[in-house]
Amino acid sequence: MGEPFLEVRKITKRFPGVVALSGVDLRVNVGEVVALIGENGAGKSTLMKILAGVQPADEGALLVDGKVVRFAHVQDAQKAGIALIHQELNLADNLTVAANMFLGREPGKFGWIDQRAIEREAKRVLEMVGLEVSPDTLLSELTLGKQQLVEIAKALSTEAKVIIMDEPTSSLSMNESERLFEVIRDLRENGVSVIYISHRLGEVKELADRVVVFRDGENAGMLERDEVDHDAMVRMMVGRDVSQFYQRTEHELGEVALSVRGLRTVEHPSNELGFEVRAGEVVGVAGLVGAGRSEMLAALFGARPALSGEVSVGGREGLPRSPREALERGLALVPEDRKGQGVILDMAVKENMSLASLRHAARGPFVNVSKEEELVAEMTSALSVKTPGSWQLVRFLSGGNQQKIVLAKWLALKPKVLLLDEPTRGIDIGAKEEIYLLMERFASEGMAILFVSSEMEEIMGMADRTLVMHEGRITGELAREDFSEEAIMELATGGNINKAE
Amino acid sequence: MKKIKGILITLIVIYVATAFLGENFLGGYNQGKLLERTGLYGLLGIGVAFVIITGGIDLSIGSVVCLVGCGVPWLVMKQDWSPGAAVLMAIVVSMCIGLWHGFLITKLKLQPFVVTLCSLLIYRGATRGLAEDQSQGFGGEYEAFRSWGTEAIAVTSKFGIPYPFVILIVVAAIAWVFLNKTIWGRYLFALGNNEEAARLSGINTDRMVILSYVICSMLAALGGLLFILNGNSAQPSDFGNFYELYAIAAAVLGGCSLRGGEGTIVGVVIGTAVMQLLKNMINLVDWLKSHMEFLIVGVVLLVAVIADEMIKQRVRRQR
Amino acid sequence: MEICQGLGIFTLGGKLSHEIEFVGCPRERSGVFLLVPSRVAGFDSRLMKNFLACTVALGAFAFSGCGEKDGGKASYALVTTGVASFWDICKKGGEDAGEELGVEVEVLMPSSGDDQRSKLEDLLAKGVDGISVAAIDPVNQAGLYDEVAEKSILITMDTDAPTSKRQVYVGMDNYDAGWMCGELVKEAIPEGGEVVLFIGRLEQDNAKRRRQGVIDCLLDRGKDPSRFDAPGQSQIGEKYTVLATLTDQFDRAKGKANVEDMLTKHEGVAAMVGLFAYNPPLILEALKQAGRIGEVKVVGFDEDEVTLQAIKDGTVHGTVVQDPYEYGNRSIRVLHALANGDTSVIPESKIIDIPARQIRKDNLEAFWADLNSKLGK
Repeated sequence: MGEPFLEVRKITKRFPGVVALSGVDLRVNVGEVVALIGENGAGKSTLMKILAGVQPADEGALLVDGKVVRFAHVQDAQKAGIALIHQELNLADNLTVAANMFLGREPGKFGWIDQRAIEREAKRVLEMVGLEVSPDTLLSELTLGKQQLVEIAKALSTEAKVIIMDEPTSSLSMNESERLFEVIRDLRENGVSVIYISHRLGEVKELADRVVVFRDGENAGMLERDEVDHDAMVRMMVGRDVSQFYQRTEHELGEVALSVRGLRTVEHPSNELGFEVRAGEVVGVAGLVGAGRSEMLAALFGARPALSGEVSVGGREGLPRSPREALERGLALVPEDRKGQGVILDMAVKENMSLASLRHAARGPFVNVSKEEELVAEMTSALSVKTPGSWQLVRFLSGGNQQKIVLAKWLALKPKVLLLDEPTRGIDIGAKEEIYLLMERFASEGMAILFVSSEMEEIMGMADRTLVMHEGRITGELAREDFSEEAIMELATGGNINKAE
Repeated sequence: MKKIKGILITLIVIYVATAFLGENFLGGYNQGKLLERTGLYGLLGIGVAFVIITGGIDLSIGSVVCLVGCGVPWLVMKQDWSPGAAVLMAIVVSMCIGLWHGFLITKLKLQPFVVTLCSLLIYRGATRGLAEDQSQGFGGEYEAFRSWGTEAIAVTSKFGIPYPFVILIVVAAIAWVFLNKTIWGRYLFALGNNEEAARLSGINTDRMVILSYVICSMLAALGGLLFILNGNSAQPSDFGNFYELYAIAAAVLGGCSLRGGEGTIVGVVIGTAVMQLLKNMINLVDWLKSHMEFLIVGVVLLVAVIADEMIKQRVRRQR
Repeated sequence: MEICQGLGIFTLGGKLSHEIEFVGCPRERSGVFLLVPSRVAGFDSRLMKNFLACTVALGAFAFSGCGEKDGGKASYALVTTGVASFWDICKKGGEDAGEELGVEVEVLMPSSGDDQRSKLEDLLAKGVDGISVAAIDPVNQAGLYDEVAEKSILITMDTDAPTSKRQVYVGMDNYDAGWMCGELVKEAIPEGGEVVLFIGRLEQDNAKRRRQGVIDCLLDRGKDPSRFDAPGQSQIGEKYTVLATLTDQFDRAKGKANVEDMLTKHEGVAAMVGLFAYNPPLILEALKQAGRIGEVKVVGFDEDEVTLQAIKDGTVHGTVVQDPYEYGNRSIRVLHALANGDTSVIPESKIIDIPARQIRKDNLEAFWADLNSKLGK
């Protein structure tokens, strides 16, 4: 592999009360894809911010092309050829593709924009990433995957030599992810280096020339291409053996807890969904992004009421018209968008945990403070939520702990059926493991669990049974013994139906 | 307490400064008048605080003040209603106004700014039509009714605690308990912070939003009633003009975030007091000219808001 | 272009059928109705094109202007400075004259200077035979008044715009009226003392002159209406000191607070003068609540019912009243004469003087009875 292009030497960064990075090293060669992995809080994003010029390091050196550099601003990093693509895309929906690519550095004179130059350049770069859209398309008309490619094109148009991608596939469908990987491989061919940050170890294995692992702000190890495997990565990240990542035990299934017949969602009105989940059973819902899985959960929970259908939970019939109705029947939903729909970031841990059950822990209209405290203490220890205190704003907790708070909110209501939408998205390995353990525990206590996941391993590791969806329909159902990636993929892509055509 | 530190310091600084610079500032009469004005404007501030906490806004407060301020004396003097019936009418009408706002905002999903901006024009226009643009007042009559806005609980011969201020304290206490001790208060803060998450937690968010607009309009009506009882003169074309802005300013000074989810009742009361104190200061301090009023009030508000934001950011960084 | 804009405004104002009404509309008087371009700035261009087509056909008719709603009746408008009971009396005077002469009278009460501008423009668009306006800002709005004068007949009432092309002014001299008010203050506190003035706003000419009249009278200066003392400054004379002039921008609560603050600041204040109609009642209210009624003398302006009642009760020494009924009544008569080509109604001074009067307890009853009869009470 080529010359080292970017070198990080013994960089340390301190924040009040924490050492975010302590003397870490990182080397990126010309035309190399380096995967950077580690649990949340391992220091990945801090290092990325330093590389992109968002914040300076306290100690250590940064070398580009063998020369020591100092980035005071984002522009400095850009000039040195480093571009950062955030997890949440920094694009303006209401502007065109070309306008987005040149936002803030439009060519032209005296405030006049040289539209032709923009279009010409945009076309050239869009071709490089293989995106076949006209530069004057509105960004809002593109899918998330294509928007991601626009971000990459934007980075390339700044003549970036190193592109840092932070969880680029977190909201992409499988096809879109595949497309992205191709583009990354092309970039590598053309001598552009990529620092790839992801929690999805499968992708890392597929893409990376080298894997660098961080743990607690330090280098935890490095794996060359031929050493990369799942267990080795997990071991380095967690710092111990995680042999029993998915722990399932056999237990008796109970009565049918949730039965769905003829459910028609607003998004896919022509398809009827029907299935059952029994008490103590964990059912996975697999499928590609856009298959209508989240929409199905939202309809079951009354968040976006279904057009028609029969839902019976614990013997009660009828379609929930609002979340409140669904809750009264014993349904609970952990939504996909944790920060937007799950927790209230600027309220205390305590207030978040008690929000749904407050009504039951009240004396008349008044909050029963002692009962609330009791409940919060119980939940905090039962789910081992890590927080300095119940007064802490949820904003300052890690993703895993935030997810536990969403779970705690529901547990107080003792739901019969727990709906989980991407329960481990964006949370680190350690917390994932805890969430899995909780799912197992709830199931063994007799709760019915229906969970949507885009991670194949998660589905195969946790589900007793899997429903596979494609374009708003349930295309198949697999029992645990029939699980295989191929079988699931086939159903998820339309399976037999496509073959028949 | 942390949230109102900035505004409390502002209040004390201006108070002490005016005590030194102004003439007779500390006299019982002036202190009583300050409390009275804080009472009158404070009711509007508390009302709008509820709406702001849900992330909304109500621009129609001044027009509701006008509607009630002109409508009640119109009913009593021109239509020969009894004061009790007129007040009951004001309560019913303002409740309906709040329900209507809430309905448009939650069920038809209209933006609060637009809904209440239209309302601002509609209620003022309706009042002008109703009262035929005539000044409204009680003349020299209904002294007992009017005493709710004019009398005070005597403390010394010169100083008394005016009824409007007593009413404010009662309303503020109820509002404080509502926001901090009841589940509905918790729901209001929750939905102001993140309406979707609150709804998915089984909270009937629409109902809570409607409730906040009802509270706001009803407190505006109470304010309007006390304003007319106190001043005895209301002209439909200008009575209560811009009062919504004073109320919003007081609420923001008192720590309400226009993004929603934040706010304290004590802060709003102190914020109102700061506004009234500033106006009083301009009249009492010789070298402050009255035409500089907006300039001074605007600058002080801005400084207070900047200081508050800086304190908040420092707290955030320390975490 | 102008014609087309004219049609545009008509349509914006209401129904499309106006365009047909145009054709059959009889006219009494021809005049070019220019319309102010700014009003059509946001006008839909497609609509514009359609009208351009119509205009070709209707041009000749439209050019001579056609606004009168009923057949041949002449129509005149009174435009006030704002909304007040004062203007209701004026309105009554105008309407009475209209009834007597058999002409249409429209009274518009704008809420601000800008509003007055747009109301005047609307009147031009609509086409009236004459306008009597109370000028809000005579110096800066002179251009607007000239425009009105060119396109219709313009006279002023209550507040003059002497530099504009108005044909005549119907009203009194506010400086003289202020002076009369000053005389009342001297009567109320003959031994002298400190005086505070309260007024709605000082931006308009009548307010400035009225206030200056009071001050000059109290300070025993020579009459000079062009003088202007800064409102925040004390004017100290031999016997009388005018401490300050406070404005409230028509906010009643603020107006009352101003009185209260002055009671706090100047404990020895001897008299308070309310120069806009609503000021004296606010002064009375504040004094009553402070328990200082009778101790601080009050002199008013205009004829608010509360003020009149207080004169009767002896809590207000007196007030200076104008004759708004006569402003309105005379305005319409003058406009009608001018529209019919009779210019003899204009005196050489171009001022039709309708003097102010001082009302004290002794002449109150007669004045009040007359006022009530004019208002039809």
